[in-house]
Amino acid sequence: MNGERLFRVLGLVDDELVVEAAPGFQAGTAVRRGPWRRALAAAACLAVLCCAGFAWRTVSAPRGDGTTAGGAAPGAENGTGSSLGGDPGDAPQENEPLSVEGTTFMSYAGPVFPLTTAEADTALTAERKTVWDFAPGSYHDGTPRQWGATVTDSYTLINPTEEAVTVTALYPFAGSFDELADLRPAVTVDGVETDPHLYAGAYAGGFQGVWQSGGQNGDQLDGTTLNLASPSSWTDYKALLESGDYLQQALEDAPALDIPVTAYEFTDFEAPAEYDAATQAIEFTIDRSKTTVLTYGFNGGAWNEETGWQQHSYFVPDGVRREPEKKVLVVLGEDIGDYTLSGYENGGCEREIDGVSCTVTRRETTLDAVLDELCRYYYDDYAGWQYGMTDRAVEAVPYPLFRRAAAELLVQYGILAGDSAVDRYSDGRLDDLISESTSQQRVLYLAVPVTVPAGESVDITFQLWKAPSFDYGCSGSENAGLQGYDLVTQLASTLTFTEQRASLVNTETIQIARQNLGFDLENSVTEVTLDLETEHYYLEIRQKS
Amino acid sequence: MEDSDIIGLYWDRDQSAITETASKYGGFLWNISWNILRSHGDAEECVNDTYLRTWNAIPPARPTAFQAWLGRIARNLSLDRWKQARAQKRGGDGMEVLLGELDACVPAPHGTEAALEDRELAALISAFLRKLPAESRIIFLRRYWYGQELRDIAGGLGCGQGKVKSSLFRTRKALRAYLEQEGVSI
Repeated sequence: MNGERLFRVLGLVDDELVVEAAPGFQAGTAVRRGPWRRALAAAACLAVLCCAGFAWRTVSAPRGDGTTAGGAAPGAENGTGSSLGGDPGDAPQENEPLSVEGTTFMSYAGPVFPLTTAEADTALTAERKTVWDFAPGSYHDGTPRQWGATVTDSYTLINPTEEAVTVTALYPFAGSFDELADLRPAVTVDGVETDPHLYAGAYAGGFQGVWQSGGQNGDQLDGTTLNLASPSSWTDYKALLESGDYLQQALEDAPALDIPVTAYEFTDFEAPAEYDAATQAIEFTIDRSKTTVLTYGFNGGAWNEETGWQQHSYFVPDGVRREPEKKVLVVLGEDIGDYTLSGYENGGCEREIDGVSCTVTRRETTLDAVLDELCRYYYDDYAGWQYGMTDRAVEAVPYPLFRRAAAELLVQYGILAGDSAVDRYSDGRLDDLISESTSQQRVLYLAVPVTVPAGESVDITFQLWKAPSFDYGCSGSENAGLQGYDLVTQLASTLTFTEQRASLVNTETIQIARQNLGFDLENSVTEVTLDLETEHYYLEIRQKS
Repeated sequence: MEDSDIIGLYWDRDQSAITETASKYGGFLWNISWNILRSHGDAEECVNDTYLRTWNAIPPARPTAFQAWLGRIARNLSLDRWKQARAQKRGGDGMEVLLGELDACVPAPHGTEAALEDRELAALISAFLRKLPAESRIIFLRRYWYGQELRDIAGGLGCGQGKVKSSLFRTRKALRAYLEQEGVSI
């Protein structure tokens, strides 16, 4: 294609011309997630929003996802007013009072959830106090800036009955495995530190299509399910959690995948040294109604719908490029039968070369066993260098939970999902599925066994670093620099709350831009009582300049 | 951090080189990949692959224009991935439009053209671009190097889309005439 060659050639024009034409760009500083992988993910969204006019919308734009906050204002203890905030585009004012709506941020960190229990009817009542501490320097990057908040979410469980009540208290928090080292709450029961068991819910988001120019109607999504759609508002979490099914699944055993499969493992790679990207390909012909092929470690694939011909290929690892050395084809259903191995000069698989070889080992096993092997390989050998997860970050992820998450993803959205299968995983690449299990947003639960003696109470405190919701710095958004925090009062909780309060500490470096809580920093109103009928509270702050 | 310091980290085989690169140029690279691919997942993979390629290339490479060097890798990887996605009939058609526009720059064959190597051809095009008014040059490269949408180019330069369209039309036409004059075959 001529235009294509010209496009490639244009890539080689002189550097100073390229730099001169670079679109206005500001390095992303508002990265809330952990090193490398998460930073890249944040930068990804940043660029999307900078350059594509991606249809993230603030509250000032039309939207139908119900992301506004509850309208009722709580009673501030010192009796603050309830006038509305100004236009979100206005310059932030010190202690701007109550607004009826919160902002829909580009990156949504999820609310602080209320404690619940594994038991449906506990007879316990509860009082709650949530404290946001904005002391600078709490972010794990060690910089002295204020970014995020240390949240102390304290509960007093009261047993009004005449018998002791034993429950499993469950504390939900939003996050992903690769940021677990930073987000996992510390727990104390009556002042004594405890090490609760961790449960992980399945991927909390959904999938959506690719944004395309929609002519008069503006940008529109196509009908595919190729992209992740992480929860973008508290109402997404409400929809996810309020039935109780999500928690129930998290507490159940992992899906069993004792499905017979045939695994072909590729080892002992060799290729001529003069080729930078020598490629090994395997070709075979199958009846796709009877055979499904999953891959791990393969870089390319092609197939012919009519003939059933399939080709899978990988760059031959040379010990330097750090391509994953694990290469496995997993065959479900009828075996692939005869196959052909070929070597190519590069991943295009166009010019065949001699000297590319490998050993193929065939074995019959189960999908469970193969998935376990691949997850273990990824967890032990691959995650660290590929995604910049530190040893601390990797060690914070309980392997069984990670393994379970990969299985859930395969069953809920992968090729085992039937009608629920999404386009994103339709090519059967287990690499994608396994790696995304580490970074997808989910709700995790800390389980704390608690016995409350008759007529007495027990204090449970959860302390966690909470990332803010935010708009990306170079997006041009009027909300860049704004940090959003929110809280839900009773969502999916089994407890009967009699009181909830919220307070702020170390507020010297911040100013409130929007809120529906009733804080008034100028008049030292830093603690408020929440209206339990209000489902959702939000607080949006900026650093003082 | 200065580019030279980041490159020094690569030479020291210090993995913080990746973090620093992502911090300084992550958005820039995403910009490029997204403009070509219009897919979160694919763009993410391309940017990750860009870091990997960079890690493997430095040392021995010591790029003098680090930003353009990174952008070039991301651009090539994205184009490769777009071709792969197109073969699988995935993704949007924005790139088809972009390449279709560039077809208009390609000289009609006369049988006597020189089949230049890519780098020679790029040098010719660089010389052509230097002769253009700066604004025309920037508009052209934002469209065909960075893959930006017309509205984004217009927004970035504070002008209307009509002006961007007409500038691109004139530059494409001039480039075609220039390449024909140079006897170039593409």
